[in-house]
Amino acid sequence: MKLARRKVLQLIGLLGAPSVFLLVFFCGPLLTMLVYSFLTPGIYGGVDWVFSHLNYGRILGWADTRYEKFDPVFLGIFLRSLRLAGLTVVTSLLVSYPAAFWISRMSPGRRDFAIFLVTLPFFVSLIVRLFAWVLILRPTGFLNQGLMGIGITSDPIEFLYSDFAVILGMTYVFIPFMFLPLYGSIEKLDIAQLEASSDLGATRVQTFWKVVLPATMPGIIGGSIITFIPSLGNFIVPSVLGGAKVLMIGNLIEQQFLSARNWPFGSALAMMVMAAVLLLLVVQLRLARRGDA
Amino acid sequence: MKKTALRASLALIAPLALTPLAATAEGTLSLYNWGDYINPAVLNKFTEETGIEVTLDTYGSNEEMLAKIQAGATGYDIVFPSVHMHDIMYQLGLLAKTDIGSAAGFENIDPQFVRAKTDPDAEYCLPYAWGNVGIVYNKELAGGITGWEDFFALGKEGKKITLLDDLRETIGVGLIMGGNSVNSTDPAEVEAAADYIVSNLDGVTAFTYDSVPQVISGDVAAAHWYVGANLFVSENPETIGYIIPKEGATMYQEDICVLESAPNKENAIKFMEFYLQPEIAALNVEQQMNGTPNIPAQELIPAEIVSNETIYPDQETMGKLQIFEDLGRDLQLYNSEWTRIKTAQ
Repeated sequence: MKLARRKVLQLIGLLGAPSVFLLVFFCGPLLTMLVYSFLTPGIYGGVDWVFSHLNYGRILGWADTRYEKFDPVFLGIFLRSLRLAGLTVVTSLLVSYPAAFWISRMSPGRRDFAIFLVTLPFFVSLIVRLFAWVLILRPTGFLNQGLMGIGITSDPIEFLYSDFAVILGMTYVFIPFMFLPLYGSIEKLDIAQLEASSDLGATRVQTFWKVVLPATMPGIIGGSIITFIPSLGNFIVPSVLGGAKVLMIGNLIEQQFLSARNWPFGSALAMMVMAAVLLLLVVQLRLARRGDA
Repeated sequence: MKKTALRASLALIAPLALTPLAATAEGTLSLYNWGDYINPAVLNKFTEETGIEVTLDTYGSNEEMLAKIQAGATGYDIVFPSVHMHDIMYQLGLLAKTDIGSAAGFENIDPQFVRAKTDPDAEYCLPYAWGNVGIVYNKELAGGITGWEDFFALGKEGKKITLLDDLRETIGVGLIMGGNSVNSTDPAEVEAAADYIVSNLDGVTAFTYDSVPQVISGDVAAAHWYVGANLFVSENPETIGYIIPKEGATMYQEDICVLESAPNKENAIKFMEFYLQPEIAALNVEQQMNGTPNIPAQELIPAEIVSNETIYPDQETMGKLQIFEDLGRDLQLYNSEWTRIKTAQ
């Protein structure tokens, strides 16, 4: 018994600090948002402590008052955000997967340098990097001038302020998030297994589908999730590269907290994003468990 | 408000004292202002004359400033709210009484700029600067433009235009075109204004503050922007121009207010009195290219600024400029319509 108690104390000692940290800085704000999402907006921001279910009613369909009306546009924005975040995951995966393979086959010195290069963009402010993309993508920008210079197009192509620009921008921003977990699982790949597969008569394609892909699946899933979550809530990329016309759920939430001074509705929208992310994690957990069995 | 390319969220702390060590004896003054909304030379001069060390933090919107002050940010002495925010902050009890309205030199201030309803005798704040929100255009692509109708016609012709990413300003254009007040709280009027914008979205390539460089480069033919565009017009007079639309436009005004929580109230009042001097107001306009309510200052401003009809319009044009008032809960009417505008393609 004495030993058990000591173990408990040890556990408390080890887990106490992080638990308190999470409780205060993660659960605390989350709980605040949950409570706020059921209140009435204060006139000058903040909340009035009067219960209201209309913040959800506006999104899901039952509100109809002077200020709170149901509008399918909110669900539309939500679906669009899911689609754009999903596409961002796919494009970052398509870029990062071969790159991770290539880098994992380099000599150690060059490999470290390549990984350093992947994380290099983090050294410059995101806003500055996104404005650089504006200069590249705009009608008189470098990309269009290049394309017109070599005669591919005679008129500038509309790259900027489109879904394309937003997906490109988010892919650019989140590639390191996708790359690092992928690299982790690809680097661990045992060459001997690939050789065995080919010795046993598998073609390269078969080897990829039956050996490489399953072995790197944890990296793919991990990378996809940590790319998807921040993409879903992103608001800087759509406002700079989408011209605030490609409205994503993050922009809508930002608008509620700042210019529209409707914190409860912003909280309700944020809760919807949370619910979507939680659902995704549950599905992923289920899939992972089935994979183990 | 004048917004800069990178907007002002990149909060910048600029210690402006010339001789910080010597200055500390006279105390300090801490300003919280919009980004790029005061000529640094004004602050340097204040330090030179009084020995008070000035620090400057910046914000990007009234709401951002209010949220910070409400959340309990202390240490700031002076803020620069727009008139409607001046009213809100007064009602929330955030402002300190300064009696600037009875200070020597207040007779310099044109009384039509003492606008805040809650502060009719300027017992709290000093009118600081004002300007209008109109159209900056590329002369080659949109020459001869006179107002909103021409502006939206450019879009129909297949040229590109941008609107401000601001719900009051952009729906305000629709309200002006419908002949209504930009402070309307009639749901039907607000909806009609939003419908007007939606039906004219052809060619609106973005809702953004960062449009001037694109107007200069010709990526955008014309943009909904602030009078501060005159600064860029003076640098590129062949390429771009700025107009106050003939159908009418909105205007803004910011006031200098001292916070109730200010740690250096005395120094803050000294700054207000310092700013009443015509030479100082003129020094600020020289760099900011906006309007000052200080009448004798207008004699001291470079002629090309004071004779510029888009910066100092005649009384008839002034009559067509509407200023935003706080709408209280009715802001939510605009909020819903704004989402509809932004998702209509």
